[in-house]
Amino acid sequence: MKVLRSLLLVEWSGLLAAIVIGSVALALVSPNFLSEFNIYVLLRSLCVSLLVGFAQMVTLGVGQMNIAVGALGGLVAIAFGGMMEVYGVPIVVAVPLALLIGAAGGLLNGVLTVRTGINGFIITLATASAFTGIDFGITESIPFYKMPPALVAFGDQHFGAIPALLVAPLIVAALLGLFFSRTVPGRQILAFGGNAQAAELSGIPRGRTVVLAHVLSGTLAAIAAVLAVAQLGSAQPTIGADWLLLSFAAPIIGGAALTGGYVSVLGTMFAVVLIALIQNGMVLAKVDPYWVQFLLGALILAAVWLNRWRAIRTGTGG
Amino acid sequence: MNLAVESVTKSFPGVRALDGVSLTLKSGEIHALMGENGAGKSTLIKIITGVHRPDAGRVLLDGKPVEFGAPRDALAAGIGAVHQERNLIPRFSVGENILIERLPTRHGLVDYATIDHEARRFLDMLDRGIDTRVEVRTLSVAQMQIVEIAKALSLEAKILLMDEPTASITEHETAALFTLLRKLRDDGVAIVFVSHKLEEVFALADRVTVLRDGKIAAADEPMATMSRQRLVSLMIGREERVARLGKRTVDASEVVLEMRGLATSLGHRDVDLSLRRGEILGLYGLVGAGRSELARAVLGGAEMTAGELRIRGTPARIRDVHEALGKYRLGYISEDRKQEGLILMHSIKDNVAITIWQRLAGALGLIAPRSEISAVQPFVRKLEVRAPSLGQSVGNLSGGNQQKVSIAKWLAANAEILIIDEPTVGIDIKTKTYLHELIGEIAASGVSVLLISSDMPEMITLADRILVMHGFRIVGEVANDHRYETTSKAIMGRIHAAGDARPVAAA
Repeated sequence: MKVLRSLLLVEWSGLLAAIVIGSVALALVSPNFLSEFNIYVLLRSLCVSLLVGFAQMVTLGVGQMNIAVGALGGLVAIAFGGMMEVYGVPIVVAVPLALLIGAAGGLLNGVLTVRTGINGFIITLATASAFTGIDFGITESIPFYKMPPALVAFGDQHFGAIPALLVAPLIVAALLGLFFSRTVPGRQILAFGGNAQAAELSGIPRGRTVVLAHVLSGTLAAIAAVLAVAQLGSAQPTIGADWLLLSFAAPIIGGAALTGGYVSVLGTMFAVVLIALIQNGMVLAKVDPYWVQFLLGALILAAVWLNRWRAIRTGTGG
Repeated sequence: MNLAVESVTKSFPGVRALDGVSLTLKSGEIHALMGENGAGKSTLIKIITGVHRPDAGRVLLDGKPVEFGAPRDALAAGIGAVHQERNLIPRFSVGENILIERLPTRHGLVDYATIDHEARRFLDMLDRGIDTRVEVRTLSVAQMQIVEIAKALSLEAKILLMDEPTASITEHETAALFTLLRKLRDDGVAIVFVSHKLEEVFALADRVTVLRDGKIAAADEPMATMSRQRLVSLMIGREERVARLGKRTVDASEVVLEMRGLATSLGHRDVDLSLRRGEILGLYGLVGAGRSELARAVLGGAEMTAGELRIRGTPARIRDVHEALGKYRLGYISEDRKQEGLILMHSIKDNVAITIWQRLAGALGLIAPRSEISAVQPFVRKLEVRAPSLGQSVGNLSGGNQQKVSIAKWLAANAEILIIDEPTVGIDIKTKTYLHELIGEIAASGVSVLLISSDMPEMITLADRILVMHGFRIVGEVANDHRYETTSKAIMGRIHAAGDARPVAAA
């Protein structure tokens, strides 16, 4: 009973159960599920999604939203591809530059939010449109195809069923976990998201904290973009166009508080895995992919309901 | 360190909160800052702590003018404060909240072992019962207040401002706090103390400054020569009045709210309680006794695991406040009016009318502003809510006026059973007397009141009978003879007896 209760208290307990049950069910129904190739495909699809989820998770932590996650990702992707194809910039220089562009986009979001005092939701809605405009303006909707062979090779490399690309989100996850649980800036972001007024009265600098969260979010979106380019082998201007729903779904299903102040790195990861599992299962079962969209919506509702139910059960409030 | 405020003026939209106010704080002195709600005490404190900037006038530290752009500047200058508002991060641990201004690190990482150890040091000065590792959101309001005080103490500031630190803690903890403040004073700290409890101020303060309507009514006078009567008349501009509660007769046969052997998932066991029509039933207990939690469980906030709840004789299971009011005519006035009772951004009118919108709505489901105003106006007037208009947003009102609005809301909704949780926390004398008379009046008109309060004098003034709660159980009933000495002794006797028999359950 006690073990069950403490398990219930952990946000991702339900997710883990769903993943285990789902995997077993899929393995029973479809023998292909456990094939090395299918697992490779599944894991490979996680890489970008994980970072997209993290990018939103960080802004949710400070109590804001970043609607520009996908738009910024698209912009970084074509800038990254473009500088390598058109100017022949080597990968080792192009990657940091791409991350810098992402950070700069986040910096813009953060500074605008703090300076104008307008809600970050509105600001990033506007900058999202602007980023997408630049993205398609520069490329005229034409992708950059000639990516350096080393990058493409890295995107395809795998050790058995494990794609090399997975290294990036795993390292990022470990760093984020450490950042939010053990570093002062990380705690300050969560403090600010938990109670902005209290944080400010406690001497936590408002401007710096909000800006930092946005910069981090932009940087994570940029990492996602770089991985997407490596995975696709080309820099498509449409990269990021379908990130928005996922970016909210992952952290929220993972137990993050929409009002800010609480995020779960592990929960977000499990949520991404669960979503990928559903998508994979649907493909194996040859279901129309549009139903994935429907299931994702249902899953968000179920997750929020589960959190609420747990809060009442354990008497910890909303 | 000495601090001086020189003829500071501060205006907010529609209100001049401070008008040429000066204050001198000397090291090694406890300075009481007194005044009714809305007199400008909190505004003055917020100017000293850098939350607000004065429109005119200046603040001097050791004779040198300082300008604080943000609270962190004041903190850096050695000024610590307990503000009236709740200022804790709900999902952070108690320890981390206490040390949030300067989280200890080791190798660049936050060091939780040191946090627990350090926080324990400051928390132990007040209350050993609070675990530093639990999340603040699981604490009761009183425990949160203790954490806030520990947080201010942890700054080891040279100037310590305390805006109603004792509003929701027990006498025992208040005594511990006072011992501590006296020690700090003797160590050379300058302390500002704001409280509505005159007994506390007389027991603690060395000097006093009184504000009335944003102006100085008495400046830096020694407490020793101040009489209670004079202090009160300085604050309210006239003599203090004792609450007049008319004689009420309670019909013992008609029980409106009854609990039999009730147990909840929050830890309540064997709770028996019966509230009669027109009765004021007191529910007294120390911090963590489980009183507010019981109210919350009744209203669907937690599961009832055993026993029975009956309302007007029929078994009831309430899911939420809406159902409580709609189906059972039961209203709940929260102790935490700012977070749970009111929508601060909305107007007085909307806050009061919110419970009766359904009744006011016309044929098409539309609400006419005029019918809203005519429904709200009598209650707002009756409770003397002080505001320029009904359209004023509640967030801009003083604490007392906010409480009046939240009471008006349930009166307008025509509730027949009211659970009132700490109705006068942080409320000034004049309004308090007024609220007491009001609660008496409501009861006389047939409304049954379950009164939760840690304010012993308040309990003894108002309640017909007093149930004593301890460790999530009812440990006794005291018939109230409205005499402080005998009744308070009887109540404390029950608590001590229960405390000896059984350790206090963690809240």
